[in-house]
Amino acid sequence: MSGLIDHLSIGFGVAFSLTNLLVAAIGSFIGTMVGVLPGLGPINGVAMLIPIAFAMNLPPETALILLAAVYVGAEYGGRITSILLNVPGEASAIMTTLDGYPLARQGLANVALSLSAASAFVGAIVSVIGIVLLAPLLAKWALAFGPAEYFVLMVFAFCCLTSLLGKQPIKGTLAAMIGLGISTIGVDANSGVYRYTFDSVHLADGIDFVVVVIALFAVAEMLEMLEKVAAGHSVEVKSSGRKLFNLKELAFTAASIGRSSLVGFGVGVLPGAGASVAAAVAYSQEKRINEAKDPNAKFGQGDMRGLVAPESAATASAIGSFVPMLTLGVPGSGTTAVMMGALTLYNITPGPALFDTKPDLVWGLIASLFIANVLLFLMNVPMVRVFSKVLSVPGWLMVPGILSISYIGVYAINAGTFDLLMVVGIGALGYLLRKFGVPMAPLVLGVVLGDMMEQNLRRALSITNGDLSVLYASPVSVGLWIAAVAVVIVPQLLRRLRAKRQEQAAA
Amino acid sequence: MNDRTLGIAALVLAALMTWTGWDIEAPFAYEPVGPRAFPMLIALVIGLCGLRLAIKGGNPVEPNPPGANARIAMMVLVAAAYAFLFQWLGFLIATALMTMFVGRLFGGSWLKCAVGGLVMGVFFYVLFDKVLDVVLPAGLLGDLL
Repeated sequence: MSGLIDHLSIGFGVAFSLTNLLVAAIGSFIGTMVGVLPGLGPINGVAMLIPIAFAMNLPPETALILLAAVYVGAEYGGRITSILLNVPGEASAIMTTLDGYPLARQGLANVALSLSAASAFVGAIVSVIGIVLLAPLLAKWALAFGPAEYFVLMVFAFCCLTSLLGKQPIKGTLAAMIGLGISTIGVDANSGVYRYTFDSVHLADGIDFVVVVIALFAVAEMLEMLEKVAAGHSVEVKSSGRKLFNLKELAFTAASIGRSSLVGFGVGVLPGAGASVAAAVAYSQEKRINEAKDPNAKFGQGDMRGLVAPESAATASAIGSFVPMLTLGVPGSGTTAVMMGALTLYNITPGPALFDTKPDLVWGLIASLFIANVLLFLMNVPMVRVFSKVLSVPGWLMVPGILSISYIGVYAINAGTFDLLMVVGIGALGYLLRKFGVPMAPLVLGVVLGDMMEQNLRRALSITNGDLSVLYASPVSVGLWIAAVAVVIVPQLLRRLRAKRQEQAAA
Repeated sequence: MNDRTLGIAALVLAALMTWTGWDIEAPFAYEPVGPRAFPMLIALVIGLCGLRLAIKGGNPVEPNPPGANARIAMMVLVAAAYAFLFQWLGFLIATALMTMFVGRLFGGSWLKCAVGGLVMGVFFYVLFDKVLDVVLPAGLLGDLL
C-alpha cells in the first residue's frame, strides 16, 4: 500500500509542475475543440499533435501528458455536439445522442452537459484507481515474458483489434499485414541489409511513423470530408435556467454511473475494444437493468441514466486502454497505438520495464489523466458556448488549417519535401482502403509493432536455432494462442448463431 | 469496385513484395532467421487474404455522389503541389495559395479564401515558428522574415 502512495506522489509531483499543468490544460482545451468538430476524433487530434510536440522539444513526459490530455479532451468534446445537435463528434459519442439530445430538447441542455461531465469524471476516477491497482501487477507478471511470449502476445493484440473492429476480420488482417509490411521498409537492424528501399536514400531509414499516421488520419480524413461538402452548422446554445444538475439527479443516476464506469474500465483494458464498444455495452446494460426494475424508465426519450451510462463508460475505457500499452507495451486501441508511436520517437519502448526505468513518466501520465479530467470538468460548463462556436468555423477554413498543421508537423520531423509527398501518397491510398472497408487501426498497430514483432520472433527462433516449437513451449504462450483463436472465432460463431435464431424466429 | 477488386490488389501487392523481396539476403548469416523471412511471411498472409477476398467478392463500394471524385482528385493534386512548394516558396506563401484552392473545393468564395489563407499563413507562421519554436521554411521571403 505504501508503494502505491509513493507511486502516486511521484506522479502528482510530475503532473503538478507548472509546465505540465499548463500543458494539460492546453491539451484538454485543444482536444475538446477537435472533438467538437464533426469527423475528427481523438485519434486525429493526437496524430496531428505528435510531431509538433516533438519539434517543440518537449520532454517525453510533457509530450505524453499533452497527448493524453488531447485524447481525453476529444472524447469529452464529442459529447457537446451529441447533446446539443444530435451530431456525434466521433464514434464513441453515438450512444450519448440517444438520451442526451432529447434532454436538450426538453430545455435541460446545460443540466445534461454538466451531468455528462460529472459522470465522465467519475468514470475517469474509477479507471485511474483501476490502473493504479492493476498496472503494476500486470507489469510484474509481464516481466517474465520472453521473446516468444511477446511475439504471441502481439499476435493476440492483432487478433483482438481485427476481430472486434468489424464484420470482416479478413480486412482487418489485411490492414495489419500492410502495416507490418510498411514497418519492414528500410535497413534491417540485425543484418544491415536494405529492404524495399528501391535504392532511395529517403527510404533507407524506413517510412516514419508520423508520416503514416498523419496520412491516414489527417489527409485521408480530409478526402473523405470532400465526399459530402456541407456548410459548417452554427448553433445557438439556449441558456436554460439551471446550469448544474442537482443532488436528486445525481442520486438518481449514481448506480448507473458506478456500474458503467466499471464496465468501461473492463472493456478498455481488453486490447482492441475501445470507447465506442464500452459506451454501447454500458448503455444496453443500463437499459436492460433499469427497464426491468422501473416502469417509468424512458430510455431513448431523455432518461438521465441513459445519458450517464455511455459517458462514464467511454471515459473509463479511454483511460483503461492505457493499461495494455503501459504494462505490456502492446497498445489496445488505435489511439494508444499512435501514442506508443510517439514514445518511440523519444526512443522509449513502452513495456513492463517502463515502470522501473521511467516511473516519473508512467505515474506522471496517470496523474495527469486524472488532472485533465478535473480540468475538463471545470471547463465544460462555463465554456460550452466557446466550444460550440468551433462548430461555426466553415469547412473552407477548417480543412486548409488541418492540412497546414499536418504539414508543419511532418516537416518538423525531417525538414524535407519527400516526407510531405509521402503523406499525400499514403493518404490517397489510405482513403481508397477505407472506401473498401479496410479498418485503419490495425494498420497503425502494424506500423508501430512491426519492428518489435519481427525482432522478438527472430530472437525467439535464434535461441532454439530455428525450431518453431519455441512459439508454443510455455504455458503463457499456449494460453495466449488459445485466447487469440478464441477472439477470432467466438464472435463469428455468435453472429452465426444469432442469424440462425433469427431465421428460425422468422420461419 | 467490390471486395474482388480489393482482393486482386492485395494479390498484386503480395506478388510485388515477393518478387522485389526475394533477393533480400544477409551477407553473413549468423542467425537462423534472416531478414527475408518476415517480409515473405507478411506477403504470404496478404496473398491469402487477397485470394479469399477475390474468390468471395461482394460488398460493392458505395459510389461517391456526383462531382465528389473530381473534387477528391483535385484535393490530392493541391496537397501534392503544397508539398512541393512548402519548402521552395516558403510556408507563408504556400499556405496562402493552398488555402485559396482547398477553400474553393469546400465552397468558400475566392475573396474569403484568399484573405483567410493569408491570415492563416501569417498566424501559423508566428505561432509555430516564433512562439512555439517549430522551425518553418521561410522560402522566398527568407530575408524578410
